[in-house]
Amino acid sequence: MTLSPTGFSPRLHWTLLRWAILLTAVTIALFPFFWMLRLSVSGADSVTLSGIELLPGSWDLSNFSRAWTEGNIGRAMFNGAIVTLAILACQLVTCIPAAYAFAKVPFPGRGFAFAAVIACLLVPTQANAMPTYLGISAMGLSNTLTALILPFVSSAFGIFLMRQHMMTIPDALLEAARADGLGTFSTLLRVVVPASMPSIATFSIFSIFVHWNDYLWPLLAIRSRDLQTPPLALSVFQEIETGQDYGALAAGALIITLPIVLLYIFAQRSFEAGLGGGELPG
Amino acid sequence: MTAHTGKGQGRRHGLLLAAPALVLIFLFMFVPALISLTASFFDVSLSRGIRLEWVGLDNYRFLFEDRDVLLSLRNTLVYSLLTIIPSLIIGLGLAILASSLGRGRRCVQVLLFLPFAANLVAMAVVFRWIFALHGGFANELLGVIGVAPINFLGEEQYSLLTVAFVGIWRNTSLALIIFLSGLTSIPTAIHEACAADGLRGWHKLTSVTLPLLRPFTVFVVVMLILQAAQVFDTIHVMTGGGPLSSSETVLTMVYRLGMQQLKFGEAAALSTLLLITLIAIGIFRRRQLSGGTS
Repeated sequence: MTLSPTGFSPRLHWTLLRWAILLTAVTIALFPFFWMLRLSVSGADSVTLSGIELLPGSWDLSNFSRAWTEGNIGRAMFNGAIVTLAILACQLVTCIPAAYAFAKVPFPGRGFAFAAVIACLLVPTQANAMPTYLGISAMGLSNTLTALILPFVSSAFGIFLMRQHMMTIPDALLEAARADGLGTFSTLLRVVVPASMPSIATFSIFSIFVHWNDYLWPLLAIRSRDLQTPPLALSVFQEIETGQDYGALAAGALIITLPIVLLYIFAQRSFEAGLGGGELPG
Repeated sequence: MTAHTGKGQGRRHGLLLAAPALVLIFLFMFVPALISLTASFFDVSLSRGIRLEWVGLDNYRFLFEDRDVLLSLRNTLVYSLLTIIPSLIIGLGLAILASSLGRGRRCVQVLLFLPFAANLVAMAVVFRWIFALHGGFANELLGVIGVAPINFLGEEQYSLLTVAFVGIWRNTSLALIIFLSGLTSIPTAIHEACAADGLRGWHKLTSVTLPLLRPFTVFVVVMLILQAAQVFDTIHVMTGGGPLSSSETVLTMVYRLGMQQLKFGEAAALSTLLLITLIAIGIFRRRQLSGGTS
């Protein structure tokens, strides 16, 4: 291999260039996170820059307590946890049995019903939000905790994802369960659920991620401060505080982002599997 | 449960297992889509319950005569073009670079996916301050090379570009992760065969890697279209669609028509157009996936 004028082999040049590009990409990807952290600990006088001040001139950790109380982030975190977990619980209770039926328990009209589930996968949730709001309002449920949970108590995506996985459970295992005297429901609980844990985990992570971060639906459905979810509380806090208390706003942003980023870091594989929705090869 | 589950009983059980989920999905997926279609032909009022008055195609006529609605359609198209192509190309490029890393790969992958995993409203709040006219990081950075402060979010010619930048920042991360899992799925035997044939670099990329990635590429493109066509959070937080509707998109317009102007019929009509477009794209993708991989 010939040497370039600098004395390095082209191969080494290529390695250096590759790392340079990737490090630049990582820097750009992470900069807003760094900036969120930087603003959240900044004193009032170092939120507005004069020059490139990567670190704040004065520090102020009371941003977090102001976000928590004045920004209503504390209450919203509590609401967010309740809503997210309630949605997940309902989805698991409805989707796991349905996925099992679609995978292993034939019933009349199953093919048609499954086609309907697939068709539901095509309905984009964000674009469906306004008509859902009309329905929820007509039922007199707008601005209630129920409104935040009800539209998501079941999930076509959940059924599809878990069904794909349950298809791989060997029939012999289910036959053995029946021979041992287990009925359909006990087989589901004692054999199918334990065998489907990976896909149940993938779906759960994905559901938490989607509903914790959802913004449009709470924005439509909720008026009162007591029912705000984390993203909604933050955006309302911003409208009140525009340009005045950016330290507290950034602190609020950090608080609501942290749980989801931690969840991602602990469950990366589930997360990435959920993204493909069980539809991709490999 | 009885010990013996007969065939007939099993069939009833199947229906029983699937029924609750089916009913609920029907109620909260199909019914809203039907409400959307129905309401688009009515004048809808939500004061004291729901009241409807038939107006035929008036709501649709309104959409195509209203300046702001037309602008929102145009902006959504421009936003889509501005975000999809760069996200796709940068995402693919970074995925190829990252996949050839040895040890650091997993770490780079986790870090580069954070923009998509994070809470978008929170990031939009931070970006808003990064792009602030006075004392924001972007303008201070430009000041170093002698560029006068730009009103990124407050001026018509920059607002859409600025939110599109945030869109690229986030969606590149999505494209990257899907491409990475695609690259990982290529069997080592294929790489070995390429090496044996002396196929390397650009030639290998275009003749072997990209064709194998095709189903993933289709998937990424459709995901990016869905993301772009339904952009809402960043715009609502960063510009509110302004100034002068310069960053208004379809969903922010639906929100404005419905929640601010209480024109629910018109909002439903615009929702319906968006729903039909996106469902058509979804059907196209299913065709592609089933036709392309076999």
